[in-house]
Amino acid sequence: MRDRSIIHLNVTDFAVAVERVCDHSLANVPLIVAPSHAARGVVYDMSEEAYQDGVKKGMPLSLARRYCPAAHILDPRISLYRKAMTALVKEVASYTPLVEQGEEDGHLFMDVTGTHRLHGPPPDIAWRLRKRVVKSLSLDPVWSLGSNKLVAKVASRVVRPFGEMIVGLGDEHAFLEPLSLDLLPGLYAAERKLMVDFNLVTIGDLARLSRKQLLVPFQKRGSYLYDASRGRDVTPVLAGVDRSLKITREHVFAEDTQKVQELKVVLTGFVHELGRRLRQKKILARRVVVSLSYSDGCSVSRQATDHNGTDNDFALRNLALTALTRSWKRRIRIRGCTLSCDRFLPRSPQQSLFVMRPVQEVQQEKLLSAMDAVCDRFGHNSLRLGSCF
Amino acid sequence: MKNFYESSTVDTLCPVLVGTSGYSYTEWVDGGFYPQGTRTPEMLALYAKSFPVVELNYTWYQMIQAEAISRMIARAPKDFRFAAKLTRTLTHERDRDWKQELQHYREGIKPLQEQLAAILIQLPPDFTWSVKNRYYLAWLLDSLHDFPVAVEFRHVSWARDSVFAELEQRQVTLVTVDAPNIPKLFPYVDLVTNPSLFFVRFHGRNLQGWQSGNMQQKFDYSYSKDELQQWNDTHLHSLRTRAEKGIIFFNNHVRAQAPANAHCLQALIA
Repeated sequence: MRDRSIIHLNVTDFAVAVERVCDHSLANVPLIVAPSHAARGVVYDMSEEAYQDGVKKGMPLSLARRYCPAAHILDPRISLYRKAMTALVKEVASYTPLVEQGEEDGHLFMDVTGTHRLHGPPPDIAWRLRKRVVKSLSLDPVWSLGSNKLVAKVASRVVRPFGEMIVGLGDEHAFLEPLSLDLLPGLYAAERKLMVDFNLVTIGDLARLSRKQLLVPFQKRGSYLYDASRGRDVTPVLAGVDRSLKITREHVFAEDTQKVQELKVVLTGFVHELGRRLRQKKILARRVVVSLSYSDGCSVSRQATDHNGTDNDFALRNLALTALTRSWKRRIRIRGCTLSCDRFLPRSPQQSLFVMRPVQEVQQEKLLSAMDAVCDRFGHNSLRLGSCF
Repeated sequence: MKNFYESSTVDTLCPVLVGTSGYSYTEWVDGGFYPQGTRTPEMLALYAKSFPVVELNYTWYQMIQAEAISRMIARAPKDFRFAAKLTRTLTHERDRDWKQELQHYREGIKPLQEQLAAILIQLPPDFTWSVKNRYYLAWLLDSLHDFPVAVEFRHVSWARDSVFAELEQRQVTLVTVDAPNIPKLFPYVDLVTNPSLFFVRFHGRNLQGWQSGNMQQKFDYSYSKDELQQWNDTHLHSLRTRAEKGIIFFNNHVRAQAPANAHCLQALIA
């Protein structure tokens, strides 16, 4: 595999940075971005000053106000942040087509492998990019350069709120070793707790454990942790997939219901629509979320995930039904339900060389392809996935 | 190889080390300098087989870090020399706390001490001869007085006797440049301000590229053998009679032209 050069560009406290560009008087003022009129509003973003006072993302606003009484509270303007994010992506797109963007969070990964003949060495590209973003958008991003996304992201976390870092190829393990495990991306809270119990403090502590040792407490995740602690990450920069994209379908029942079959029928119908849309867009969904609205006004959302992503109606239906089982825990009638899928991956046209796919999966794919052809010709409701529960 | 730090008499031609500005370029694999399939961590050891000195470019982009430098030194022979560029936050983007930045730099460069040929202070084109900038440069030179330092100006306003006299008095090396002939650019000056060391940088003579703002075009130039021969016979000969030692770097890295030209000059000097 060719050595990769991945640049991570990160505008720290993106929402705050954008608000400060719009209103210069907010510079150096502690800021909290949160819905101030919601009864239980939580912090969407905060400035470094507020962070230093103890304010964190997701914290109840009432608590955040107590931690940082001097903070100026601003209502989130998601569309504005989205617009700024689009402008940011536009600025960097001239350097490489391989740009992966986060949601409206000021994070960008760029794969600049092989672009040296056009744009020069990768550190120079990153430096120029920062200059360009500062000049055109008045945003000052942190930049880092690494041989993969994981290392580049950790490097950004090390230097933020401003600065830059280059982690040379081959230096990944030495770079990560002394760092706190809090800087390693992708850890679940339960895993982090387990690591504290095992007195694992630094990434190096984790890296000293073998793959077999990690499999015992962390099971399937042991393999990821083994590679991540050594700075290994082969995930590609996912260009062309808007990670903020979410496909959603909603249904409100004519009469509140308690019949699980009714919900399953509705969800199956949604799955067919979503699956077809995914196949048209040539993307795979990794997460399916079912939200149930109860007749007493409460709502519950639960999810089911497929790490590899899928656009197969049958697999999507299984995920949806799993999420339904997880979300329906109350003995109260259901008023409506929503099915959404997100965390998309581009669908690779290349087949696996070594892993034989199950016959059933191949048959299902052929069937869905034929169904899509019929729907394309005779309308999207002409042929649907049946429900037999 | 003769020890670079053995002093030589000034009447004879002093020893010269020839190298390139940077060594970690993947395009040098395509350009034929590194064998096909060479990976980045292997480059320094391969480079050191061809050249005895290198100019570290990446220290300009990010603050030098002792751990990273230590790992890098371990990949090179003991007698290999490094010149390290001063970080851009001390030359081009002076909006951070200078003193703290310089302290970080001094700490970061510590592992290099034994093998440090010079610290290169490359100043930007908008760093003109003004009272404020003169004070800043004086402060920088004072703070680095215990290191071998070379200064490269990019603005013609610094080409004046008072500047040269001050550098001479401080024993600071003025970088001799070979670059396109542009009116505002600091010109070639036949001067040795520090008898301990002269420092030459070949930037190429791509006039159009220099003005394009694109690094790949700016340093896209290959010196002909005649041009290098002429340089060796005139300028280099003159410099070598007035200093104890010298280092020469080729900055025209595009398409591996720098190592090719450095090889050629090495052969001419020999």
